[in-house]
Amino acid sequence: MAGGPPKALQSTGPHSLRDMPHPLAGSSSEEAVGGDSTPSPDLLMARSFGDKDLILPNGGTPAGTSSPASSSSLLNRLQLDDDIDGETRDLFVIVDDPKKHVCTMETYITYRITTKSTRVEFDLPEYSVRRRYQDFDWLRSKLEESQPTHLIPPLPEKFVVKGVVDRFSEEFVETRRKALDKFLKRITDHPVLSFNEHFNVFLTAKDLNAYKKQGIALLTRMGESVKHVTGGYKLRTRPLEFAAIGDYLDTFALKLGTIDRIAQRIIKEEIEYLVELREYGPVYSTWSTLEGELAEPLEGVSACIGNCSTALEELTDDMTEDFLPVLREYILYSDSMKSVLKKRDQVQAEYEAKLEAVALRKEDRPKVPADVEKCQDRMECFNADLKADMERWQNNKRQDFRQLLMGMADKNIQYYEKCLMAWESIIPLLQEKQEAK
Amino acid sequence: MGGYNRALSLSGSPGLAADQVLRRLTCLPTPGSVSSCSSWSPPGLPAGARRWRAEGRASQAETLVGRGRGGGGAGALGSPRRTAAMEQAPPDPERQLQPAPLEPLGCPDAGLGAAVGKEAAGAGEEDSGVDTMPHNNFWLKKIEISVSEAEKRTGRNAMNMQETYTAYLIETRSVEHTDGQSVLTDSLWRRYSEFELLRNYLLVYYPHIVVPPLPEKRAEFVWHKLSADNMDPDFVERRRIGLENFLLRIASHPILCRDKIFYLFLTQEGNWKETVNETGFQLKADSRLKALNATFRVKNPDKRFTDLKHYSDELQSVISHLLRVRARVADRLYGVYKVHGNYGRVFSEWSAIEKEMGDGLQSAGHHMDVYASSIDDILEDEEHYADQLKEYLFYAEALRAVCRKHELMQYDLEMAAQDLASKKQQCEELATGTVRTFSLKGMTTKLFGQETPEQREARIKVLEEQINEGEQQLKSKNLEGREFVKNAWADIERFKEQKNRDLKEALISYAVMQISMCKKGIQVWTNAKECFSKM
Repeated sequence: MAGGPPKALQSTGPHSLRDMPHPLAGSSSEEAVGGDSTPSPDLLMARSFGDKDLILPNGGTPAGTSSPASSSSLLNRLQLDDDIDGETRDLFVIVDDPKKHVCTMETYITYRITTKSTRVEFDLPEYSVRRRYQDFDWLRSKLEESQPTHLIPPLPEKFVVKGVVDRFSEEFVETRRKALDKFLKRITDHPVLSFNEHFNVFLTAKDLNAYKKQGIALLTRMGESVKHVTGGYKLRTRPLEFAAIGDYLDTFALKLGTIDRIAQRIIKEEIEYLVELREYGPVYSTWSTLEGELAEPLEGVSACIGNCSTALEELTDDMTEDFLPVLREYILYSDSMKSVLKKRDQVQAEYEAKLEAVALRKEDRPKVPADVEKCQDRMECFNADLKADMERWQNNKRQDFRQLLMGMADKNIQYYEKCLMAWESIIPLLQEKQEAK
Repeated sequence: MGGYNRALSLSGSPGLAADQVLRRLTCLPTPGSVSSCSSWSPPGLPAGARRWRAEGRASQAETLVGRGRGGGGAGALGSPRRTAAMEQAPPDPERQLQPAPLEPLGCPDAGLGAAVGKEAAGAGEEDSGVDTMPHNNFWLKKIEISVSEAEKRTGRNAMNMQETYTAYLIETRSVEHTDGQSVLTDSLWRRYSEFELLRNYLLVYYPHIVVPPLPEKRAEFVWHKLSADNMDPDFVERRRIGLENFLLRIASHPILCRDKIFYLFLTQEGNWKETVNETGFQLKADSRLKALNATFRVKNPDKRFTDLKHYSDELQSVISHLLRVRARVADRLYGVYKVHGNYGRVFSEWSAIEKEMGDGLQSAGHHMDVYASSIDDILEDEEHYADQLKEYLFYAEALRAVCRKHELMQYDLEMAAQDLASKKQQCEELATGTVRTFSLKGMTTKLFGQETPEQREARIKVLEEQINEGEQQLKSKNLEGREFVKNAWADIERFKEQKNRDLKEALISYAVMQISMCKKGIQVWTNAKECFSKM
C-alpha cells in the first residue's frame, strides 16, 4: 500500500497494484491524476480534470495483466496508432520569431512559443508566449526532476564561447531556434511528458518567473523519492536488457562522436578548398585582360569558378548549421539517457539491498514490508517507463537520422547540380567562335 | 604504365554540341599494353586524329597523327601544295640562316580552314592529302610519329661516370595514301638531351619561328600527391607524351617540318649528334640571347614586337600563377574527397549495432568509399589540362625569344647605321678640312702637325671603302631585317591562331572534365540518399 500522502503525481508513481485504477475507468478526482501534486491552484492556470474519457497518464493497470504496467507503456500501445494518424494529435507547439532584447544588464534573445491544443489541461485553445534559453533550461531541469524515469530530450548547448561564435548572428540564432523547436516537439510527442504541469506552465504562463519562484517548493513526490536514493546503493548486475541498452548507447555515442569529427573535418577541408578556389577564379579573369579572342572564354571560366565557389560556401554553411547541431544533440541525448539508466540502477539497487536486508532479518512477517514493496514498485515502473521510452526513442532516432542523412545527401546533390549548371552553361560560350571560323 | 590512362567515360552530356570534343577525349582501347594509351591529342589536331600506340609493334594506326597544320592538314612532312622544287636536296643548314624564301607556306589560312572544317564535321579521315600525287619522296608522304616507349638506361657519360637516364623510342610510320596502311619506316631511341639539342639547333637556324617548346625538364607545379621525381613513372609517362607532342608540332609546322636535321633526328640514330654539331650552329648562336633581361637600347623599336614581348612576359606570369593555384586547388580537393572515405568505415561500424537502420547505413557507407576513391582519376585527368597550359607557358618563352632576336637585330642595325654615319662624317671632315668631330687623329694632327695631302687622301680612300662596304652591309641588314619581320610576323600570326584554337579546346575539355566530375558526384550522392531513405 502506497499509503500516506496523496499520490499527487503527474507521472507514474509508486502505486501498488491495488491502487492503480484502470486508466480507462473513471476515477475519483482524488485518485485521478491530475495530479495536483502540487501547487495551489491559484498559481496555476485552472485545469479541470474531470473528463473521464481522457486517457490519463498515471496509474493504470489494464485489467487482466498482472504486471504493474506503467502508464506510458500502455499509452505507448494506445498512442502508437494516434501517431500514425496524426489526426488525433491534440497539441501543437511551434518555436519561431526570435527577437533581440537589449536591457541595461544584458542582451538576450527571446523566442515566440505558439501553442494550439484541444486538451482540457489548457484553458484556451491557443497561447502565445515569449521565452528565452534559460526558460528552456529551467523547464528541462524541472522535467528531469519530476519525471526521473523518463528520457528527457536534450537542449542545444548552453554555453557558447564568446568571441568564437557570435551569439546574436542570424545563423546561430536560427540553429538554436530549430533545436529548441525540436526540443518542445519531442516533449509534445511524449505521452507522459506532454502532460507535465511544468510543461503546461511553460507554454501558457504570462509571467514564468513568478511561477519559477514557487518552483522550489514544488518537488514532486517522485522527485523526492528518487532523490532519496543516493549513491549509497551499488547494483551488482544490470539486467540483460538494460545492459544491452547501456552498451548500445555507449557505442552509439562513440560512433556519433566519430561522425561529428569527420563532418567537421570535411567542412574544414571544404573551406580550405574554397579559399583556393577564390584565388583560382580571378586568375582567369586577369588572363582574359591580356587576350583578344580568348578574353570571353577565359572570363566565362572565371565566372563559372566563382559560381562554384558560392555553391560550395552554401554547402559548408548548411552543413554547419543543419547537420552538426543535430549530431551533437543526439550525443547529448544519449548522455542524458545513460544517466537515467544509472538512476534506474540505483532504484534497483535500493530495492535489492532492502530485500536482502529483510531476508537477513529473518522475521516471521509473512508479507514483505511496505517500504520494500514500494521500492519494488518504483523499480518496476521505472523499468517499464524506461523501456517504453527507449522504444519510442529508437523510432524517433531512426526517423531523425534518416532525415538528417538524406538531408546531407541532398545538400551535396544540390551543390553538384549548381556546379554542373554553371559548367554546362559555358560550353556554348567556349565553343562559339570556333564554328564561326 | 597504368598511371596515366585517361579513359574518360563521359556519360555523353546531352545537349553538348561538342561531340568532337568528346571523341577527342576518348581513349583508344589498348588491352593491357605496356605503353598505355594516351588519349591526349595535342589540341589543334583535326578531330579524330588520335594517338597511335604501338602494341608490341603491331600496328593499330587508326588515323593520321602529325598532320600538317599548313597545307590543309595533310601529311606531316609535306604539303600537297608544295611544289616539286621543295623536295630537292635536303635543306642546306647554311642556307637556312637566310630568311626563308618567299613561297606559299602551304597557304596556312586555307589549310587551317580546311582542317577546321574537318574538325567541325568530326571527320576522322585524311582529307586533302588524297589528291596529292604520290611521290616516293619522304617529304610528301604522310607520316605518323609517335614516342611510344620509355626505358630506363644506364650508361657512361662524357666524364666516364655512370649515369641513369631515360631513353624514348621514336617510331615513324609512313602511310600509303592509296590504301591507308602504314608501314614502320624508322624506329630509334633518343634521350631528352638529344631533343634539347634538336631544339637548340632549330632556335639558331629559324630565329623568326616560334619554335615549339619541350616538356619541362623537371617536374614543377606539382600538387602534393604527385611526385617531383624525374624517375617517377607518371612523370616519365607525361614527359613521353610531351616529347611526342613536340615532334608532332614540328612535323606539322609548314617550315620546320622540312628541316634536314629534324628528318635525321627521326631516321638516323647513330651519329646524329655529330651531324648536328657539324653544322656549327653553336657558333652561330648569339650569346647575347642568353642574357634574357639585358637591355639593348633600341632607338626605334618596332611597337608590334615590343607589345608582343610584353604580352609574352605577362602570359608567362599569368599561366605560372594559374598552374600554381591549380595545384593547390587539386590538393585541397583531394583532401575533401578522401575524408569522406572515413564515413564508409564509421557507417559500417555503426550499422553493426543497429537493427533496421543497419543495411541502409552499410550500403551508404560503400558509396562514400566510391566517392572517396573517384578523386584519383579525376585529378589525373586534370593533369592533362595542366600539361596543355604548361605547353603554352613554354611557348610564351619561345615567343619572347623571337621578339628578343628582333630586338637584337634592330640593335645591330642601328649600331651599324650609327657606325656608318660616323664614318661618313669623318670622311666629310677630312675632305673639307673641318674638324667637327673629335678624333684622336685630329688631335695628334693638331699636336704634331698636319698630315700630308697624300696621307689624307689615303685615309679618305680607306674610309670611302669602308663606307661603301658599310652601306652594302646596311642595305643587306635592312633587307634581312625586313624579311625577318615579315616572316616572323607570318609565323606569329600562325602561332596566335594555333594558340587561340588550342587554348579554347583546352578550356572546353576542362569544362567537360568538370561536368563529368559533377555528374559523378550527383550519382554517388543520389545513391547514398537512396540508401539513407531505406534506413
